[in-house]
Order: sequence, then C-alpha cells, then structure tokens
Amino acid sequence: MNKANRSAESASVNLSELLARVDNDRALLCELLSIFKREFPDHLHALRNAVAGNDSAQAACISHTLKGMLANLAVAKAAASASRLERLARAGEISALGDALARFEKEVEGLLPEMDSYRAEARP
Amino acid sequence: MKILIADDDALPRRLLEKTLQRADYQVTTVADGRHAVECLSQPDAPRLALLDWMMPGLDGPGVCREIRKHREQGYVYMILLTSKESKEDIVEGLESGADDYLVKPFDAEELKARLRTGERILHLEDRLVEAREQMRFKATHDPLTSLWNRGVIMDLMGRELVRSQREHGCTAIILGDLDHFKNVNDTHGHLVGDQVLREVARRLLLSVRSYDFVGRYGGEEFLTLLNNCPPDSALVRAEEIRKAICTRPIQTDAGPLGMTISLGVLLSCDWGHRPADELLREADAALYAAKTAGRNRVMQAKPEEPRQRVPTPQPAGERVR
Repeated sequence: MNKANRSAESASVNLSELLARVDNDRALLCELLSIFKREFPDHLHALRNAVAGNDSAQAACISHTLKGMLANLAVAKAAASASRLERLARAGEISALGDALARFEKEVEGLLPEMDSYRAEARP
Repeated sequence: MKILIADDDALPRRLLEKTLQRADYQVTTVADGRHAVECLSQPDAPRLALLDWMMPGLDGPGVCREIRKHREQGYVYMILLTSKESKEDIVEGLESGADDYLVKPFDAEELKARLRTGERILHLEDRLVEAREQMRFKATHDPLTSLWNRGVIMDLMGRELVRSQREHGCTAIILGDLDHFKNVNDTHGHLVGDQVLREVARRLLLSVRSYDFVGRYGGEEFLTLLNNCPPDSALVRAEEIRKAICTRPIQTDAGPLGMTISLGVLLSCDWGHRPADELLREADAALYAAKTAGRNRVMQAKPEEPRQRVPTPQPAGERVR
C-alpha cells in the first residue's frame, strides 16, 4: 500500500493513524473495513429516516454509533460531523438536523469506495 | 488474565478484542449490558471489564451499578469506554461504580497501562482477601488440630439444636475424651502428645459426614455434632468413632501408641426443649459414666434416669481420665 500517496490524495482517512491503531495487522484492517462496509450503509439509512421523522433520540443514538465507528477508522473529519449531529439531536434542535445531515453525507461521500480500495490492498 | 469487553458496536469491539488478545488477555466479548452483567456474575468470571458507556438495554454505568450491588463477589475492576468528555459525564460514570474511564477512540498503549493499574488493584485485593481468610481461620479453628475451636463448636451446637427442634429432627451430641492422655504427655512429652491429638482429630473427621461438625472442646476432649441423625444410628456412629481411634495404634516419634477414647452420647430429640449447656452437661455426665465403667466405651445420656445411670461428674482436675 502506497501510504504516502494515499494519505496525500485523501482527506478522509488518516491511513498512518489507522495502521497504527491496528498495529499494522493487515488481516485485522481488512476485517474492520468489512464490518464498516457491512454496517455503515444501514446506519446511514437509519439516520436519514430518523432525521426525516424528527426522531431526535434515535438520530442521537445513530450519530453516536457512526461517530465511534468513524473515529476508530481514523476518519476524523466525518467523525466530527457525526459528533455535531449527535450534539444537535441531543439538544433537540430538529430544524438544524437536516443541514447537519447533508454536511455529514457530503463528508462521507466516496468513503465506501475509498475503504474498498484499502480493503483490497490490505487483503492478505 | 480474563477480561470482558462489552460494546454494541462490532467494529470497536473487534478492535479491542484483537488488541487485548495480542497483549495476552483471555477475552470474552458481549454486545449489550445485560449480557455483561450475566457474564460478570458467573463463577470464575473475568475480573477486568471494559464497558462501552452507551449500549442498548443496560448502559455501561448501569452494568457498574448492578455489579457493585453484589458485594459478596470478588472485586471487578471496570473501565468505562466513552466518547463523552464533559466533567458531569465522567463524574456520573465514576459514581456508578466504575474504576476508570477511557475516551474513545482508545490509544492501545494507554489502554494497556490502565489495565495494568487494574491488575495491580486486583492483586492487592487478592492479598487482602487471603489475609482476611487466614485471620478468619485462626479465629475459628484450633491451631493444633485445625478442628473448630471451642467457641465455634459451641455456637454450632446452639444453632443445630434450634434447627433440629424447628425441623423436628435430631442432633446427636457426642462428647469424647482420650483415655489416659496425661500418661502420654508425662511419659513421652508434649510434642508426642500433640502428634496424638492431631491424628485423633484426623480420624474423627474421617469418621463423620462432610456436614457434621467436629471441634476441640478442651485439652483432649472433642465435641462432635451429627446433624439430622436418626435416633437408632447415633450409638452405631459413636461406636464407629470409638473404633476409629482404638483399632490402629497412632504413629508418633516415640513409636506407635495405642489410644482409646470414651464417649458420651446424647440425642437432642430425647430431651425436648432444653438449653444447650444443660444438654452438654448431660453428655458430659454420660462420658464420665463411660470412664468409670472402664473407659474405651460409649454411654448414652437418657432423660428418664439421668442421675441413676450417669453419676454426677467431679470438678475438672479431679475427673477420671
């Protein structure tokens, strides 16, 4: 994996931090990315539904999960957006959730293909 | 060392699991608080736990509160994993009974260092428990024979008598005294006497059931309580005890010594509601009768004619030994 090039190209994942987090264990990295690929779309879908349904409690809960997931994968910017969503949802600021969600979706746009490419390269 | 990870999110759970397996921990993982409580309440459960703060059903602080309710269990060192960073949150977490907290995403080295702190505290607790158990043993057991000491065996007798009255059962009280033990001490010395007492205690324990009680009542006197003893088997059991002492000589530094024991037996169901000390006096009188009748025998205390069959014992020191 060309770490230097990839880190420079992408603002999403801090690859060196992520590799340090898994102690350079490629099999584990691959496994974590698979979990992300499997679970992230469902969480995002559920978050959209919660925001659309003005369910701030559910939105807070899902944002919290997404925040943890993204932080663990060293996707700091998107994790910060998820954290903002969680704060707003907990504060019951329903009207602000739509914009915050849109911003979050923009942050994570392209994240799955990026993760896929890491996964393909990390596969033993 | 065993450790529990409770996190409803699969990704951090797997990352934690792998990190700790690499650090040689035996890891158990669960995905919610209820399962965490179940796991930590099992015998031989992990004593280190990493608990995610937010979990469905029961959250991390809820798990801490549940575990801390059960104080009889060994101490569990619990660390909350949280992305909450406000002082109020941290205070709430620690007030729930958590020992420490870590902010997610965790740093592996910091996590391991904090777990080592937990292990030090658990090790200290183990040493304290061990010291307490040693003190408890010393406070309740005779140091020479490791049988129950006089105070405890008397308490146990009181409790057993109340229980057998409540359940309309019968407790057999057997008071035994080694015959001519003074001669052993006078002839061979106290160290040999101690060897005899230890071996007698061992044989007494082997002669009774695991739920009977045997205590050292005095110098060479032993009090045995047979719980839920059918009345027709008490004398048989006492006879077995007598034979356990006299059948084989006791090996000592002075060579093999043949020892015998005299026994006074009393069945609580024969005596109605009488105080424990009164029953013990009657058992002692029966023991005295066994001594005067020639020793190495069993005599039973009967309420019908207690003073005819069993002479009044002489004061200590003037007793037939």
